[in-house]
Amino acid sequence: MRRYIVKRLISLIPLLLGVSLVSFLIMHLAPGDPTAMLTDPSVKPEELLRLRQNWGLDRPLIVQYFYWLWHAIRFDFGTAYMLNRPVSAVIAERLPATLLLMGTSFAVTLLIAVPLGVLSAAKKKGWFDNLVTVISFAGMSIPSFWLALMLMLLFSVKLNLLPAGGMYDPSLQTPSFLKSAIDVALHMALPVATMVIVALAGITRYVRSSMLEALSQNYIKAARARGLFERTVIFKHALRNALLPLITLIGLSLPELFGGAFIVETIFAWPGMGRLGVAAVFSRNYPVIMGVVMFSAFLIVIGNLLADVCYALADPRIRYEKVQKK
Amino acid sequence: MSVKVKNILTIWLTIILLSAAVCGRTADLEGDLVFALGGEISILNPILSADSASSSVEGPIFNGLTKINEKLEIVPDLAERWTVSKDGKVFTFFLRRGVKWHDGASFTARDVKFTFDSILDPKVNSVRRSDYIIEGRPIRFKVIDAYTVQAVLPRPFAPFLASSGMSILPAHLLKGKDLNTSSFNQKPVGTGPFKFKEWKASDHATLVRNEKYHLGAPLLSSIIYRMIPDENSRLIALESGQIDESDVPPREVGRIKRLKRVKVYEYEALTYTYLGFNLANPIFSDKRVRQALAYATDKQQLINLIFLGAGAAAYSPSSPVSWAYESSVEKYPLNRKIAEILLDGAGWKKGPDGIRKKGSKPLEFTILVNQGNKEREKAAVILQWQYKKIGVKVNIRVMEWSAMLRILNANKDPKDFDAVIIGWSLGIDPDQYSIWHSSQYPSGLNFVKYKNPKIDRLLEKGRTTMDRESRKKIYSQLQKIIAEDQPYLFLWYPKAVVAVSERVGGLSKPGPAGLFLNIEKVFVTK
Repeated sequence: MRRYIVKRLISLIPLLLGVSLVSFLIMHLAPGDPTAMLTDPSVKPEELLRLRQNWGLDRPLIVQYFYWLWHAIRFDFGTAYMLNRPVSAVIAERLPATLLLMGTSFAVTLLIAVPLGVLSAAKKKGWFDNLVTVISFAGMSIPSFWLALMLMLLFSVKLNLLPAGGMYDPSLQTPSFLKSAIDVALHMALPVATMVIVALAGITRYVRSSMLEALSQNYIKAARARGLFERTVIFKHALRNALLPLITLIGLSLPELFGGAFIVETIFAWPGMGRLGVAAVFSRNYPVIMGVVMFSAFLIVIGNLLADVCYALADPRIRYEKVQKK
Repeated sequence: MSVKVKNILTIWLTIILLSAAVCGRTADLEGDLVFALGGEISILNPILSADSASSSVEGPIFNGLTKINEKLEIVPDLAERWTVSKDGKVFTFFLRRGVKWHDGASFTARDVKFTFDSILDPKVNSVRRSDYIIEGRPIRFKVIDAYTVQAVLPRPFAPFLASSGMSILPAHLLKGKDLNTSSFNQKPVGTGPFKFKEWKASDHATLVRNEKYHLGAPLLSSIIYRMIPDENSRLIALESGQIDESDVPPREVGRIKRLKRVKVYEYEALTYTYLGFNLANPIFSDKRVRQALAYATDKQQLINLIFLGAGAAAYSPSSPVSWAYESSVEKYPLNRKIAEILLDGAGWKKGPDGIRKKGSKPLEFTILVNQGNKEREKAAVILQWQYKKIGVKVNIRVMEWSAMLRILNANKDPKDFDAVIIGWSLGIDPDQYSIWHSSQYPSGLNFVKYKNPKIDRLLEKGRTTMDRESRKKIYSQLQKIIAEDQPYLFLWYPKAVVAVSERVGGLSKPGPAGLFLNIEKVFVTK
């Protein structure tokens, strides 16, 4: 197992290098440049040229790439244009907000989706299953921006229960930890609800079908034949096997967890990574784009690796070493 | 209680009593005013920031030597007064005494020199440098004594006074530091009515009252700027009372006006939108074609359909709110018959399919618009339809903003576009050298390749003449010639529509300078 992990980790290096080169080139080949945003009748073109020089954009592309790489391997992702701050600091500033929102949404989604999926599989084609199917498809087909605005209208404007956006109440003067935790939780309620409603359908269906597959296996028939309680059959024998594919799903969701959700963040004015990445693309803030891209690329490959490893740990049938020895 | 504190309290109380008496409402001295920002604050250093969100927050923290008033006139701020030498080359500023930085240090001439020298430093990433370089040579700033500063210009340059409103930075905190990366840029110290308190990345920033402000303590306890990128979310935040001010898009004006607790203000903004022709294109190098298109443009229809009437037709490269505006210019009133005669005369004859042709070449061009700007996208579609009536075929190409600017800014002749719908924000000074002078092509903002020796001369004369009345005459002539030439087809002046919570008082007269010009006099009621 350890050999397998080390091998996989080593194979990440060329992969990440490839990702960095390709994204660097695509980014620079796309039309537009970071100084275009500063076009203004009072700004002379030579000043924009000077800024490009200060930012090192006048050098050949390949030189720029190796300069970036040379610093990036030492975890220095450069200075963000206009913000004039290290990219790593800019990303670090947004990360907690994103993790909090995405982590909570993901956890809540799983907590609701798994029982729903299991129950509807157990009572396949029953009224409960049908109800869950209808609700989850409805949730799936609602666009998140519309749902977000409707929730805001209802809970912030009509009922005046929850704040309409942002992460903090800026008027709180030096609040205690508990108070600020409640404040953040209140601000998080609507964005989390939006994300859960939209994501619920997919995972419920996923759990349901994987549960149905498990229930059709021979060992379940055997268990039933032995006269075990239906509850034991479902929760002990079937569920553990049915949840295995969820590991992959969670592993693949890791980058999303850190990457943020642009639409929900924008509508609820949540200070997350999604907004940072999209704003950087629009303003051609190259160092920030590269930082965000590399960060997500790293998370995707690590997420995949973790999923594979956890899979092996959870399922005795999977052993990577044996496969390699053959 | 020291004498100073007593004095400040007296001034403060007087202001409160006055404002209460004037408005018949009592200011809540513990009150917060909450603004919404559509963009994100990038950096809080006025010489480095180039986005409107950052400048909004910097406004109440800093002062400049001069500022503008409701009539867009340049009036004293940190400089009590100034003189201009006879040759128009030396501006002497006499500074206000007793002004303190938020950390208690005194403001002096040293700070002024430091600020402008920093802007001129090529290593500092400031785009404002252009304002202080005249024909390749920088303006020199000299400290005469602690409260007198001189700006020595390489040659007379009238627009300089408009650039003297630049916020002044504290030399004692920044001298010898790398201005680009200094931590000052995240927690600024100024001389203004409000002190910086906190900035939470892309969530909010908070400023608090500067009790020792040299014009007396402001009435608001604090100002909060919330960053809310989505337009609909901003309106919801306004409705739910979370913010006190928001822009209102045309389609929402009716609904927002009906809301209680909110007042809607409309005023002219210092901008105009136009259809710019690439004069290097043989179709548009013929003035008759440009004039024909102007005659065929129903500007009122554009304004009615796009802004539901909230806008005004534009005819020249200036704005009715500018002191240099000339209203009697050629207006090319809607007249499709004249348009058709002009096109016939230019050799563009109608073919069997209704499209005009010269030989085998159809009268067809492409309008560029930037993606996401709904107003301009709609305008392109309406113009396409209006021009079809006179046998002109228009295609529309919607492009991402930065990619579109790349085409317009490309340093080549001719550039790769036919026509573009875009706008200019005008400065306080009427100088438009960078837009119309023939030297500003192909590198520069004269991307339509307008070349008129008469205009070149007027532009050169306008910026070197100091006397306002003489300048007014120069710019009136300039507007007449450009309106007649139609290198741009001037479309409209948009109106700013702003909703403000009714609990806010002490606003300035609605105008292009905004409603919160005197932020120290703005208050909220309980």
